[in-house]
Amino acid sequence: MNSYYAATLLVYAGVDIIACIALNLQFGISGIVNFSFIIFQAVGAYAAAVLSMPPDTANGGYQVYVGGFQLPFPLPWIGGALAGGLLAIPVGLVVLRKLRTDYQAIALLVLSVIANSVITNARPFLNGAAGIAQVPGPFSDQIDPLTQSYQLLYVGLTLPCVLLVWLVASRIVNSPYGRSLRAMRDHEVAASALGKNPVRMKMTIFIVGGIIGGLSGAILVGYIAVWAPSEWLYPETIILFAAVIVGGRANNVGAILGALLVPVGFEEVTRLIPGTIAGWVPPPNLIPAMQWVAIGLLIIGFLWFRPQGVRPEPRRVFEGSPDAEEVDRVRTA
Amino acid sequence: MSARPDEPMLVARDVHRHFEGMRAVDGVSIDVPRGKITGLIGPNGAGKSTFLAVLAGTLPASAGTITFEGQDISRLPTYHRARRGLVRTFQLPSEFSQLTVLENLLVAAPDNRGDSLLGALLGKRYWGDDELRLVDQARSLLKRFGMTAKESDYAGTMSGGQKRLIEIMRALMLRPRCLLLDEPMSGVHPRIVDEIKYYLQSLRADGLTILMVEHELHLVEQLCDSVVVMAQGKVIGSGTMAALRRQQEIVDAYLVG
Repeated sequence: MNSYYAATLLVYAGVDIIACIALNLQFGISGIVNFSFIIFQAVGAYAAAVLSMPPDTANGGYQVYVGGFQLPFPLPWIGGALAGGLLAIPVGLVVLRKLRTDYQAIALLVLSVIANSVITNARPFLNGAAGIAQVPGPFSDQIDPLTQSYQLLYVGLTLPCVLLVWLVASRIVNSPYGRSLRAMRDHEVAASALGKNPVRMKMTIFIVGGIIGGLSGAILVGYIAVWAPSEWLYPETIILFAAVIVGGRANNVGAILGALLVPVGFEEVTRLIPGTIAGWVPPPNLIPAMQWVAIGLLIIGFLWFRPQGVRPEPRRVFEGSPDAEEVDRVRTA
Repeated sequence: MSARPDEPMLVARDVHRHFEGMRAVDGVSIDVPRGKITGLIGPNGAGKSTFLAVLAGTLPASAGTITFEGQDISRLPTYHRARRGLVRTFQLPSEFSQLTVLENLLVAAPDNRGDSLLGALLGKRYWGDDELRLVDQARSLLKRFGMTAKESDYAGTMSGGQKRLIEIMRALMLRPRCLLLDEPMSGVHPRIVDEIKYYLQSLRADGLTILMVEHELHLVEQLCDSVVVMAQGKVIGSGTMAALRRQQEIVDAYLVG
């Protein structure tokens, strides 16, 4: 394993961890079934791309896109995060106010498909199906991106973002506000009868999740330097849902674990499958197709046999509780 | 707010709630007197629960006005009514099942600095004191209702009767002025019925105003200072239970309904 491969794995892991924490806030904690999560990562990636790239006239016009502001780091990443948050406002206002939760999920899924199809076909906006290429990463004008030190630098830029997102998410989840969100998830009408404003809480978390999702896209696009509609088809959201379900809904550690097990682990393991099996060459699309089958089976399997995931939602025992001592005893035993 | 003690706390005037032509609540006007327990009785389908939901704002009224402590609250959403002290419970169990019993109570506390995004981000140092104070408050309620030993159990694993108690305790965490109870004793073991009865009486002694929907007439007789009878979406009588028993029309509503 060379250091490029290690850096790639680490950056992807960082991006997936950030995305899974955001989705866990929305789905695991607040009960918002955001089947359009990937479009928030996508808008962050596009925003970061056009903020960091030169105008499209600069490169001979082989690709067309709006903007091209050549802003220095960290502005493209901040812009990507803001774009995710901004997109969440109109989407949330339309979807989250009136619809029942199951219809919200359908509306969001449809939105994801429509958004992808619009960007694919409206070429002058973001270069259509071909997508945007040659997106400059942070400091790539000063350090050659192909060097080992740049790879290290990128991991070094990703890590603080992961830590920041982790800090924000755990503060929310472990606070009285997080408790209100979980209450809304369990019984929305009762939460509202106790003085909570469910629409406001959902909008807030939708926007927070959008910001974090946007950041994940910005980090990703700076590293892989290309961004196209094929990167953010709706099944990508399903992979993230699989990660949150496998890792453990409503548990941030679970979300991280899920990110490492499903999007990172799964795709890496299937790389190890040999190109030929005892002289038989499988059709070229067989492995990717089997990956999807495996993701589906993984979700069903967990929902059936271990719906709470590898790391279940923690039970919160307060200091001085009659059985707190017993819990402590069990822990130390 | 210092309203006159003889002024009713909650007033409904000509309240309607229609479901696509079905008049579930059809011009109901009632006064809920301060510091008393008022019963709301009537046959199945009389519109009692719907009326309670309209009072609490869970369902919007099709027409009519609702006044609480002298202020028109007809257009306020549920959570605003709850914050003003008009708090309802539900006929079906509505616990937050994946929260512990103690957490169920804490959710309802209205004044925790950590109960907003900003407060949460500022961290435990910002809201820790509020939390400690509210945990104490919740524990004294648990003690009063004899559920201290259950505080760290998931609410979803409690029995039907215990869920009823959680519901009442949760409402009390809001420090309500007026409780709207939707059949608080339904599906509850007789021993817990006695407990709930005892708690409701002690709440009245504390000065709380209660409006409760109830089917068991002997409970209504024991608990309620006055009673409103509904049938087919309308109020067909009100007064003390003893007085109502003497009116043939009302006896018919129950026997026929």
